[in-house]
Amino acid sequence: MRRVAVIGVGVTQFGRHERTSAELFAEAAADALADAEMPAARVQALYYGNVVGGETEKQLHTGPQAASVLGIPTVPTTRFETACASSHAAFRHAVMEIASGASDVVLVGGAERVLNVPTADSTEYFAYASDASWEQTLGLTFPGVFALVARAHMHKYGTTEEKMAAVAVKNNKHGVLNPKAQFRKEITLDTVLKSPMVADPLKLYDCCPFTDGGAALVLVSEEVARRSRRPIWVLASAAASDWMLIGDKRDLSRVPATERAAAAAYRQAGIGPHDVDVVELHDCFTIAEIVATEGLGLFEPGAGGLAAEKGWTSLGGQIPVNPSGGLKAKGHPIGATGAAQICEVVTQLRGEAGPRQVEGARRGLTHTLGGNTATVLVSLFGRE
Amino acid sequence: MSESSQGKDTSGVTLGRFFAQAREGALTGIRCVGCGALAVPPKELCPECGARRWEPVPLSGEGTIASYTVIRVAPRGHAGDAPYAIAAVRLREGVSLLGRVVDVPLEALAVGLPVRFRPIVVKDRPAIAFGPA
Repeated sequence: MRRVAVIGVGVTQFGRHERTSAELFAEAAADALADAEMPAARVQALYYGNVVGGETEKQLHTGPQAASVLGIPTVPTTRFETACASSHAAFRHAVMEIASGASDVVLVGGAERVLNVPTADSTEYFAYASDASWEQTLGLTFPGVFALVARAHMHKYGTTEEKMAAVAVKNNKHGVLNPKAQFRKEITLDTVLKSPMVADPLKLYDCCPFTDGGAALVLVSEEVARRSRRPIWVLASAAASDWMLIGDKRDLSRVPATERAAAAAYRQAGIGPHDVDVVELHDCFTIAEIVATEGLGLFEPGAGGLAAEKGWTSLGGQIPVNPSGGLKAKGHPIGATGAAQICEVVTQLRGEAGPRQVEGARRGLTHTLGGNTATVLVSLFGRE
Repeated sequence: MSESSQGKDTSGVTLGRFFAQAREGALTGIRCVGCGALAVPPKELCPECGARRWEPVPLSGEGTIASYTVIRVAPRGHAGDAPYAIAAVRLREGVSLLGRVVDVPLEALAVGLPVRFRPIVVKDRPAIAFGPA
């Protein structure tokens, strides 16, 4: 298998947009191509993530649409849907297309538009990623899914609402330093704890926002990367799935797909969790970050909340997690999130993250979770 | 794995039939004829041994809450019901089901609380619920 590198990244402002998801993707993709100094004519394939286009924009076949709006209509394009992990799944398949020798230059990205519909509608559309017969009928929501995880974690490990709130405070603090973030305002523990309950025990400030946005990156073979200014190498990209039904999951305090994807990625790269300097992970809810830091092996099971509370995962801490502000503050345009996380880690490893730079970061990890914990992707990146 | 050549799913417990029976108050699981693993329908192959032969097994509907939440911000279609409780319930037989919790005060919800299955209809569709044991 050939080595693969990221040589260009592009992310739109996250927040509310009046443009379609295809337009948001096209802006990010053109930025990524410019960053890579790569002519669009050299792109051989587009791997694209988009989730609820059918619902919020009444638009299917979003892959070719995005390619057309970008201006590369004849490039083979495939749209991926693995709920919130869609563009990370797209990324993994693009890595394999290059590693196999099939292509040398592939564009990867995603976009989502949801703030054009009311919250009750977007809540319903996101819930389509849970089982229609068993779960949607009950009125289960995504905050509800992670509330079940939170309650199980609290019961098993004594995790508190304060420890979860510490994740929100930390990621909002990081978000202040990210000009692309949806929220750039520090919040206090009290603000989180006193915010309205969404799905007990998760409150409004335990939840990431609904977000419009796009992200893209240029992925190339080693031969092409050697001629670029600052390639960041893909050390591993792994996927894992798990039972779809909440009822079929044996222990709700854990996300086994995270554990399996992480183990596979570390094995591919020949490194362990303590060789990683910077992490962008899927903090769709505060408890999701806690469980992810445990599943990735950064902390012992049950210690993820303490890590946030003690500042171990803050910028300047032993392993900074979500220096971008994470989904919580940067925002979560679901089809774009996996690509946006990779863009952040690449920026960090280039040493170009400005005030949110993790000093001396040499290796980075991205973790993206899809749906009711049934899909997880983990990728590893390095300067060499 | 040799079981897989011995014929198709014999349980007859399709998703539609499961919920039709649930509406009448009966919960039906499926048991693998190959290895005895108990599962919630529908499943074609046994995730434990790969066999393709199942038999229907009545479930007691008795269990305890493994985790729970109270949904306060509901999807469009359920907004009129909020707040409502949803719990993952571990049944006595070892399988778990997600369901609404009814007739239990929200402040009485707890991990380990014994509950019992009862059928409900949500927006004209049969669904799983649990009430006091």
